[in-house]
Amino acid sequence: MTKSNRNLQILNGVTVVMLLISTALVFLYAPLERTMGQVQRIFYFHVSAGWVGMLAFMVTLVLGAVYLRTGNRRWDMIAAASVEIGLVFTVMNAASGSIWARPAWNTWWTWDPRLTTFTIMALIYVAYLMLRQGIEDPERRARFASVYGIVGFVSVPITFFAIRWWRTIHPVVIGEGAGEAQGTFSMTSPMVQVMLFCFATFTLLYFCLLANRLQLETLAQRVEQLKARVMSA
Amino acid sequence: MEPVPDTLNYLILGYAVLFGLPLLYVLSWWARRRNLEKDVEALKSLEEEQKRK
Repeated sequence: MTKSNRNLQILNGVTVVMLLISTALVFLYAPLERTMGQVQRIFYFHVSAGWVGMLAFMVTLVLGAVYLRTGNRRWDMIAAASVEIGLVFTVMNAASGSIWARPAWNTWWTWDPRLTTFTIMALIYVAYLMLRQGIEDPERRARFASVYGIVGFVSVPITFFAIRWWRTIHPVVIGEGAGEAQGTFSMTSPMVQVMLFCFATFTLLYFCLLANRLQLETLAQRVEQLKARVMSA
Repeated sequence: MEPVPDTLNYLILGYAVLFGLPLLYVLSWWARRRNLEKDVEALKSLEEEQKRK
């Protein structure tokens, strides 16, 4: 086993352990919220998934800029993998939020400013992947995708601040939000501790998934190289 | 004091989604890896054949 493979195995193991501890903390340590009941426990993974989605898109922004500066396609490869993982977490965040909204807001979905900006953000990053699929030339694809990843990131802060800028029923957990918010609750100290632990776990999970995804991408590139060799022979 | 609402079903559904989605994503990697490994084998044998000719 190579050193990088061993490091990846260690990262995978630590991530699984952290996930198990997080789950135990959510169900056994975090106190029951009396207004919403058990469903409030979705909060810890829901917010963490949202955080990782935005982190992933931020990584794409940074690596897009690095690619444009250096021209090294490895950065573009990581940026693309990050978008794919970011979208998985974005969908997790939306789906769990919708399930939480049903008892809290009495609806699965509403075109509230947060949910609307969130949907636009998700569609922008789906389009990022579609754009990549549509360009054959690798250099051109990397350049276009990098610029798109930088411009597309504008949607991320807009989504994050939507609940602070506009009237919305989506609660603001940290800081003050609109008076119309429904499903708001005051976080007790154990709740904050569990939330911070889940944030750390999900951040580690993101890097773990990214490392594994890059291994797969390396294999895909090997196939591309072999194809090119066979075609040119 | 108001009774705590029974929202356990939503909690179970929520966590099924939260664990299920990434699991499906990782499983899709397994399928992709298998296909790529098949491609590598096929391309390698094609390359060998070209060399022999």
